[in-house]
Amino acid sequence: MIQFKNVNKTYPGGFQALKGINFSLEAGEMAFLTGHSGAGKSTLLKLITLMEKPTSGQVIIDNNELSKIRYSQIPFVRRNIGMIFQNHNLLMDRTVFDNVALPLVIEGLSSRQIRKRVEAALDKVGLATKVKCLPYMLSGGEQQRVGIARAIVNKPPIILADEPTGNLDPKLSLDIIQLFEDFNAVGVCVLIATHDLGLIARMKYRTLTLKQGQMITDGLAHAEAV
Amino acid sequence: MNSNSKQKKPSLLTRVMSPVHLGQQFVASFHDLWRTPMASLMTILVLGISLALPATLHLFSKNAERVSAQWQTAAEISVFLKSSVTEASAQNLLQRIKLYPEVQQVRYISADDALEQFKQLSGFGNALAYLDSNPLPITLLVTPTQRHSQPMAAKALLEKIQGEREVEQGKLDVEWLTRLQAIMVLIKDIVFALAALLSFSVVLIIGNTIRLAILNQKDAIAVMKLVGATDGFIQRPYLFTGFWYGVLGGLFASITVSFLGKFLGAAISDLAQLYENQFYMQGLNLPELGLLLSIAVFLGLMGSFISVRKHIRSIEPNAD
Repeated sequence: MIQFKNVNKTYPGGFQALKGINFSLEAGEMAFLTGHSGAGKSTLLKLITLMEKPTSGQVIIDNNELSKIRYSQIPFVRRNIGMIFQNHNLLMDRTVFDNVALPLVIEGLSSRQIRKRVEAALDKVGLATKVKCLPYMLSGGEQQRVGIARAIVNKPPIILADEPTGNLDPKLSLDIIQLFEDFNAVGVCVLIATHDLGLIARMKYRTLTLKQGQMITDGLAHAEAV
Repeated sequence: MNSNSKQKKPSLLTRVMSPVHLGQQFVASFHDLWRTPMASLMTILVLGISLALPATLHLFSKNAERVSAQWQTAAEISVFLKSSVTEASAQNLLQRIKLYPEVQQVRYISADDALEQFKQLSGFGNALAYLDSNPLPITLLVTPTQRHSQPMAAKALLEKIQGEREVEQGKLDVEWLTRLQAIMVLIKDIVFALAALLSFSVVLIIGNTIRLAILNQKDAIAVMKLVGATDGFIQRPYLFTGFWYGVLGGLFASITVSFLGKFLGAAISDLAQLYENQFYMQGLNLPELGLLLSIAVFLGLMGSFISVRKHIRSIEPNAD
């Protein structure tokens, strides 16, 4: 589903963010991406979502080689990727419902279908009662879950999460990760970038570790601990 | 996987918004104008005034044309006959000229009448008494038909009359008519040039307003791009906004022009009455109002289109 082939990324100015990255995630696989700040986690996610282009190498998403994607096709690639951010990236002047409905409105679904699917998504993340709230009325954990509902509402085959538990306490973090496990259980490919090593250690999932732009481990978290 | 493969190739139906959605966006963009009432109002006023100026000038040139058309029909050719021409042959010539298709009316002024008039008007009455014969020739005053009262046609008629053997000299005061026509052309050119310049500035103003609106919504646009919105989807509300600016600005311009026309029309009618002339200012007619509104909408769309093209593409989502 996600495949990196010898990917390098050098930013203008010479900073080399990624060096020779090789890995692939199959459909329905769940993995963590970890490493210190500045190790290249965000850059790697940006390459997947076409916010950045690799300097060399290939990124292949869902059998599409991203370097061959034209500007006008980028939105259609992104629709297959549910993105979740540490800072939620919600539209602050729109209600929870409107925020979650956005991907469906963009795809041009009927309002009846939108209502049904938004309610289902909000129900899934436990916010069915907050439909009409504005984001600022919600707690950090709730805002994060609105972001998750928006990412899953159009049932993308891939979910990317960038520090989804960044500002949350351990109990809430675990809830969020369990949500991702649920999506993974129905066949969604999930990649979670986090530096919360304790969380990863408990989960026993495949873990990709970046250090100064290089992938130093690719395997189960507990194997690294041994 | 079934649902995945369906998402991979969005059908034409899901790419194109449904008419209902379009309608909703269309109406919503109108309401969005009132989120920033002052800024919107300023833009609408600038647009309206910019269009009202050339439209008012057009109104004037249109009315001036009507007035000058009245003057042109009053153009006369004075035909002075040779002094050797007798009254009988002069009458004969009069009948011949009357038969010209270009001529509407011919007035006969005998040498005595002319002398009488000259005495009254010039104030040389007593001096003329010392002349032993009347030096003035017989004069015919020829009024051309409306079609032949334009300077060029009138000149042609003059030459034709001068071809008659009884005629000593014909005089057509065509200079001022030519000048008037040149002035009318100049005014029309000025209206056009002014309209072009102001239209250009209107496009820039609307472009800039839309640019500010886009920059205000920068974060929201980035989020929309992240969840897969096409540029077309994002720019549509801004194009609608430009459309509304055009409609409202055009309406404002129409109202302003009508008001100015009424206001100045009353003053001009009063003035005309002093000259014992009936004159009513003609306002913009329906096709002209329609044209004004269409131009306003076109400029609004144009400004927003240029802005949207340039700025929406440059906003890129950023995960940080």
